[in-house]
Amino acid sequence: MMKKVLAGLVLAAGIFGLTQGAFAQAAKGKYEIATVVKITGIPWFNRLEVGVKKAGVDLGINTYQLGPSDADPAQQVKMVEDLINKGVSAICITPNDAKALEPAFAKAKAKGIIVITHESPDQRGKDYDIEMIDNVKFARHFWDELVKSMGTSGKYAIFVGGLTVPLHNLWADEGLKYAKEKYPNLKLVSDRIPCGEDQELSKQTMLELLKTYPDIKGVIGFGSLGPLGAAQAIKEKGKVAQVSIVGTVLPAPAAKYLSDGSLRSGILWDPKDAGYAMTWVAKQLLDGKKITNGMEIPGLGKVTVEGDVIKVDAWIDITKANASSFGF
Amino acid sequence: MEIALRKLARYTETYLVIIIAFLSILIAAKNPSFLTLENMFDLLKSYSFFGVMSIGVLMVLISGGIDISFAAVATVAEYLVALFMMRIGGNIFSAFAVAALVGSVLGYINGLLVNRFRIPPIIATIATMNAYYGLLIFATGGKWIYDLPIWFSDFAEIQLFTIHTANDSTYGLSIITMIWFAVMVAGILILRFTMLGRSIYAIGGDRKSALRVGLNVRRAEEFVYSFMGLLAGIAGVIQALLVQTVAPNSIVGKELNIIAAVVLGGASLTGGKGSVFGAFLGLVLLAIVKNGMTLMAIPPVWYEFFVGCVILLSVGITSYKGKLEKRRTATILVKA
Repeated sequence: MMKKVLAGLVLAAGIFGLTQGAFAQAAKGKYEIATVVKITGIPWFNRLEVGVKKAGVDLGINTYQLGPSDADPAQQVKMVEDLINKGVSAICITPNDAKALEPAFAKAKAKGIIVITHESPDQRGKDYDIEMIDNVKFARHFWDELVKSMGTSGKYAIFVGGLTVPLHNLWADEGLKYAKEKYPNLKLVSDRIPCGEDQELSKQTMLELLKTYPDIKGVIGFGSLGPLGAAQAIKEKGKVAQVSIVGTVLPAPAAKYLSDGSLRSGILWDPKDAGYAMTWVAKQLLDGKKITNGMEIPGLGKVTVEGDVIKVDAWIDITKANASSFGF
Repeated sequence: MEIALRKLARYTETYLVIIIAFLSILIAAKNPSFLTLENMFDLLKSYSFFGVMSIGVLMVLISGGIDISFAAVATVAEYLVALFMMRIGGNIFSAFAVAALVGSVLGYINGLLVNRFRIPPIIATIATMNAYYGLLIFATGGKWIYDLPIWFSDFAEIQLFTIHTANDSTYGLSIITMIWFAVMVAGILILRFTMLGRSIYAIGGDRKSALRVGLNVRRAEEFVYSFMGLLAGIAGVIQALLVQTVAPNSIVGKELNIIAAVVLGGASLTGGKGSVFGAFLGLVLLAIVKNGMTLMAIPPVWYEFFVGCVILLSVGITSYKGKLEKRRTATILVKA
């Protein structure tokens, strides 16, 4: 039976793989910059695509976005290799697995193709990585926001998307370090809980936390669905006044929770900016320009360059007042 | 007394009840709020979504088949219902009706592939899973729907009875749980008291014999896959009721958990065996293990490890018991 299941799964993966062939045609004489995302067809990367397209129009180049149908590193590597064979000018990518992509990036380099990554600062083989936030400052901001509504003492919990999601855990590490110094009276009730990408699971987990720690006062949620699930749970139990929830949320789905107070505030960056910035930087490099400190990406602000990592401070605070104005 | 005990010892359900009772005592000793009515009601509500689908999975497994596509079916039905509610409106009954219809049709297609074309069920349903889900993602671009109508969120709040606690909060038995229970009753009625139900067991036990004795195999196989689809559709609406957000990628990926729970409950992957009560217990076991870990304040890095252990332990006990039984029958045969 198990063999059958495995054979089936392998076959399924193959079928998925076959469907990934449709690349846009390159216009002659123009730069062709492809953006590869972690997974196609989710709101986050749909929004990123808006930025990719905008950069194409603004800069007069051929840009497009593609990505695997699930967050599968192997499929992503395959796509990058296809793009290299096709001979694009630059590849912008949010890696699913930094290590798995290294050989493909080496091939790109050999053919003179520029590689720009996002959300992968320690990536090897890239030309530049772009971060829309300074991860340390960003992480600290969550604790500052939490303290703003729950006070500087009390019990709280952290949700992450998974125990192996690099950024979520980096934020949690940095934030905890910061909290230890600045807010010593905050008490973390449990190790970070991996439920932040599943609203149902987050809701159930929050219900359990309320029972285990009846005096819990706050939750920091990383992952776009976790904070919403937690907010739903405290609403259901009438604990909106007692528990403060802050987290990474997409503005539009969070609007209704922000307006009834079950979610206190959201902090995020706009993926559109990331899509735009990657393409913009790639274009500068193709033109032979250098990226230097203080350079300005149109509409995003000044950049800080640290080695091969470019940082822009472009996080957004999402509140009751502005949640519906972002357009995503 | 002894005979009664021996009879009980033959059922997988008995062992599950013992394991569940043991775990419950363990968890409650660490955190008394585990054994409160409130926690039970919360769990029964959260797991209704899994519960409804588990009955469909159970029937498919009993018939000797397997369905991998039901999570995709649930997603498609959920999404179409959400669109239906936003564009056309309707009420909670029409929402469930649309979901049931969409689900049944998609399930029926699985049934056709399995019965008429004799495609191995796992291949057929993996193919349809990709097709259904791929089409949905293509058509919707993965957009989330979160502006569901007020009447829809109001329905999710209905409780059969409500209990007020000392500190001003309330809890109660959710109407969503009742849908799950109704599905279980339907499952028991079909499996135990209809010709259709008995033929499902017969086909799973030995398809050829079932054909020879003149059972309507085609009808039964088409029924189990259609019914799986119908329940997946209903579960899709339940999921939307529970989280009030419809995201095309939120259900797919959970199918193996549900199949595991049903198998844990004594259903056999080779067909012919399984019961509604067992499937319920399998799900309860998984639910309290997960619930118990937060309540006992076990560090989350251990969650998956413990879930794995409990599955191994329970399946181990029942399989070993099955092996012993086989040996016993074997000896009898030799004697005869």
